[in-house]
Amino acid sequence: MNKKQHHKDESTTNLKGTFIAVMILGIFILVSWFIVFGIFLSR
Amino acid sequence: MHLHKYERIWLIFGISSLVLFLVVLGVGAFYKGTQPPSHLATVDPTKVEEHEAFREENLGLRKVGENDYIVSVIASAFNYNFGKDDEGNTIRKIEIPVGSNVLFQATTTDVIHGFQLAGTNVNMMVEPGYINSLKTTFKKTGTYTLICNEYCGTGHHLMAFEVEVIDNE
Repeated sequence: MNKKQHHKDESTTNLKGTFIAVMILGIFILVSWFIVFGIFLSR
Repeated sequence: MHLHKYERIWLIFGISSLVLFLVVLGVGAFYKGTQPPSHLATVDPTKVEEHEAFREENLGLRKVGENDYIVSVIASAFNYNFGKDDEGNTIRKIEIPVGSNVLFQATTTDVIHGFQLAGTNVNMMVEPGYINSLKTTFKKTGTYTLICNEYCGTGHHLMAFEVEVIDNE
């Protein structure tokens, strides 16, 4: 009973803020990588 | 195993990025033939001048084909040796036609030096005992400065050379 209760809490945790923060960081890394790669190719 | 919806999205995003970068790396290495500047070609650092590539007459800019050039350089504290011209003067500047394929090969007789043509992709280390080489095609005309970007001693900042990429006409 106790275990089930705990599981329920975890699944309803609000991760929206975490998700947005992580995606901002991920997209920043990807975009900056492509900018640098573009400089490499253009030279 | 329970995975939160957001976690699943993030994992797919992360793994796809990894796959994408590996594909870019693979295309560069196997299709475009990109290689690191050191292919483990070795040379005795005390007898550099005896090596085919670094003999007195082979130093500096050499034309080896219609559009192909080889530039051989001996780096040492605190100088890049491009050899001497026909009159016996030390070469201070080389001129390369735009669009030509150039193979830079360099070695050092003492410590590690840098070999960077500022503003281009020519950027490598020059290590004692190894011949470091890099192929490039100059797309734009202009004057480029070759600089040492590995601190090599008190005269490090004096280590420079001029490479001019000129129009074909």
